[in-house]
Amino acid sequence: MMLAILASLVLFFLDSRLDYFKPVRAALSTLVYPVQVTASLPTNFVDWLGDFFQEREELREQIAVLNATTMLQDLRLQKMQALERENMRLKELLGSSFRLQERVQVAELVTVDLDPFSQQVIIDKGKNYGVYVGQPVLDAYGVMGQVAETSSLSSRVVLLTDPSHSIPVQINRNGLRAVVTGRGLGEYLQMDFLPHNADVREGDLLVTSGLGGRFPVGYPVGKVVSVNFPQGKAFADIKVEPAANLSTSRELMLVLPGEKIRTEPLLTQPDAATAETQAAENAASEAASSLPDAEESVDGNNR
Amino acid sequence: MATIAESRNGFAIVVTLVIAMLLMLMPMPESARYFRPEWVVMTLIYWAMALPQRVSIGIGWLSGLLMDAMMGGTLGVMAFSYALAVYLIARFHLQLRQYPLWQQALTIFTVVALVHSVAMLMARPEMHWILWMPVVSSTLMWPIMYAVLRKIRRTFRVS
Repeated sequence: MMLAILASLVLFFLDSRLDYFKPVRAALSTLVYPVQVTASLPTNFVDWLGDFFQEREELREQIAVLNATTMLQDLRLQKMQALERENMRLKELLGSSFRLQERVQVAELVTVDLDPFSQQVIIDKGKNYGVYVGQPVLDAYGVMGQVAETSSLSSRVVLLTDPSHSIPVQINRNGLRAVVTGRGLGEYLQMDFLPHNADVREGDLLVTSGLGGRFPVGYPVGKVVSVNFPQGKAFADIKVEPAANLSTSRELMLVLPGEKIRTEPLLTQPDAATAETQAAENAASEAASSLPDAEESVDGNNR
Repeated sequence: MATIAESRNGFAIVVTLVIAMLLMLMPMPESARYFRPEWVVMTLIYWAMALPQRVSIGIGWLSGLLMDAMMGGTLGVMAFSYALAVYLIARFHLQLRQYPLWQQALTIFTVVALVHSVAMLMARPEMHWILWMPVVSSTLMWPIMYAVLRKIRRTFRVS
């Protein structure tokens, strides 16, 4: 028993304090990955069965709906592109920086339940696909979280709702910056450190502010669901509902590196700037095409 | 692990432990998620009670370590608490075997609560009564678990 206690204590220390213990941890994660995949098999099988026995008629309906959605989105995209150009021009006029489009890589969730104390998920892409610690993870509706640990075949993603996770945001309506922290247990997120006179309203959309340089700018984080000003407390009590489908999304998107948010101001020579942009874009698409999995480009949002 | 390999039909122990781990990871509906019994602890407790010379603290510690790696917590937390559970059960296994099932279940309640509180101390989540539900569900599951594992032990003549 003494030995077990000692070994545990040594492990606590190594795991939480030392960086070079990471490979050991990664190796352990790789070791248990087959077990995790096995645990997710029944769910996947049931899903597959559901797909297999789907009615022809149902599938047709689905295709029709999807076609209609694509058309609508294409339509919006046309306008988007024009707006994006306009936005770039305006930013150049202002002499401030602008953003490139981010590229993403699709990863799938390994459906296992983890520790209910921490809000984490496992995804099926690891170092073999170039996933790195701190990589932002999105789903179709908004930010989900970031990669916390990678092993060679899988990685662990910390969700926004994890109590140890905070994300810099700004209110879409007025640009007020703040930090949103997870509360765990599937509860709402909390918006921290805003004084009582802060201009926050119910229904405000929060987007990533890009401060801190980890998350790309402008992706939806959540919506404010309640604003309270408790008496005798220094800060307002603001609850935020995550925009991403944290509990149901199966396909996640990893934002690829190499297209960091450009922060250097473009003061003069718009020609040179555009040439540079194109060069960067080319380089990025080359980098992206060397990656094996399916990639899609996602619109860099304009503010 | 050497003791397991040498024991007669020790693979049954390993297989039940792996199945318990799978059950811990298996996705459950959101509403049932917090009521998941501590399968691995219960399996360990059974084997430590029935065959304390086979399932030692080391095996408890190792399966805890694997759980840590799978769950993504700090390494060593579950390893420690599982080893603790095995130690306590192995210490009192002779008395425990004499107890009626409901009294055993009470002991399980205490041990699982202990394991759980070690994990809670380390994770420090916001306190909520629902976090303690695994203790209750484990206690309720114990009679079934006991019957199933005893059946396994007798059919495969694990000793």
